[in-house]
Amino acid sequence: MKIDFSILINIFNRNISLFIHGIKITCLFAIVGTVGGLILGLLLGGIRALKVEKNDRGISKFFKVIGLAFTRFYIWVFRGTPMMVQAIFLYYFLKPVFHWNSFTAGLIIISINTAAYMAEIVRSGIQSIDNGQFEACRSIGLTFFQSLRYVILPQAIKNSFPSIGNQLIVNIKDSSMLNVLSVTELFFQTSSIAGSNYRYIETYLIAAIIYLLLTSLASAILNAIERKMNGGKKVKTSMEFS
Amino acid sequence: MEEIFKIENLTKNFKSLEVLKGIDLSIYKNEVLTIIGSSGCGKSTLLRCLNLLEYPDSGKIYYHGLDIMDPNMNVNKYRSKVGMVFQNFNLFNNMSILDNCVIGQINVLKRNKEEATKIAIERLKDVGMLDFKDARSTTLSGGQKQRAAIARTLCMDPEVILLDEPTSALDPEMVGEVLDVILKLVKKGIPMVIVTHEMLFAKEVSNRIIFMDEGRIVEQGSPLDVLENPKQERTKQFLSRYLV
Repeated sequence: MKIDFSILINIFNRNISLFIHGIKITCLFAIVGTVGGLILGLLLGGIRALKVEKNDRGISKFFKVIGLAFTRFYIWVFRGTPMMVQAIFLYYFLKPVFHWNSFTAGLIIISINTAAYMAEIVRSGIQSIDNGQFEACRSIGLTFFQSLRYVILPQAIKNSFPSIGNQLIVNIKDSSMLNVLSVTELFFQTSSIAGSNYRYIETYLIAAIIYLLLTSLASAILNAIERKMNGGKKVKTSMEFS
Repeated sequence: MEEIFKIENLTKNFKSLEVLKGIDLSIYKNEVLTIIGSSGCGKSTLLRCLNLLEYPDSGKIYYHGLDIMDPNMNVNKYRSKVGMVFQNFNLFNNMSILDNCVIGQINVLKRNKEEATKIAIERLKDVGMLDFKDARSTTLSGGQKQRAAIARTLCMDPEVILLDEPTSALDPEMVGEVLDVILKLVKKGIPMVIVTHEMLFAKEVSNRIIFMDEGRIVEQGSPLDVLENPKQERTKQFLSRYLV
């Protein structure tokens, strides 16, 4: 139950390059996962916001129904199973098709996992926009996707920015699950270091501190962006502890 | 006179509520048609059916003889020809007033940016909103928003403009500036269908007035006929609340 801080510093100094490598990979996965997830999530969320209308032609009705069913299934599966399970399953299942290494697989898996959450964030963001905005789009002849692209999504993304940013913080932490694919992110590096020096408490405390610093930094950056988007006004909601 | 719209036996229900119970109506070129009636009589729904913001349950709407509910009809193209002005303005909140006026021209009418901007500036000048072209809608007053929204509609070169209670959400002081703009369009000869509670305005601008009640057209005719010499009891009853 005793933590020896001199040992802690010693471990850090001796393994600094391993930690830094881990930090880089963790940041890369968190950022790619969030951005990739957002892009995919915009697509899925846009489809989720589709409404089947009475005047739809047979073919567009068909694609809408299929699209809605697909996105519902996608969100159900990827939100309902652990990313660790998804990672191992998809990596081995799709390996014969894509011939991918675990690094690429990890980037793709964290993106498609995040997309399931982003899709719901985007959908609720879209639904929070006054229907009049959409009606005005339609009244000047914009198509459904043009309306989304130019009017609805810019507002929806702005409104859901706190939730979108939250996914970045989640991904900084959850990328640790990709250690099961031997992706050399911070958790994987930490466990290899701990495995060689047997100082589990100190080594993992270093990891915890680094994770906390990374999430705090991300949170500060997100707050700054949000403040800028709101025209310099102070943001009340803090994501410090999310 | 040439017909723009021909409406045949149009019905619309919201769940079990019958809002339109069989409307037959023709709307002609060079005509300003005003629809009056108490709240919930279906006048806004009728207007919204005309550009398919509401989809009718049965009946037909012909636009220059073309069935607008035909699956092969290009609804987006059609909507760009039928302008709509909303009670709540519905300016796009995420862009400047100028961009509000440009976006439809570029994406629907396929004009280039330069041409679209030129037209937008002209239209904003027409409604007296050029000074606000770089403003966000959230910083404008109601009257300014509605004038900008009218400019946005005009930029699409609509053949006919539908106005859904354009002054109902405004402070009384701002009603005048919006009505002036509408009057200016009337003088230019743009056909319009106006849903309004402004009886004096209706009298001034309309060629024809329709009085609706409980999803049906009760009475129609010239402003003089309908507003001053109504024949139906229901019309008299409705108008007694207005000093015309």
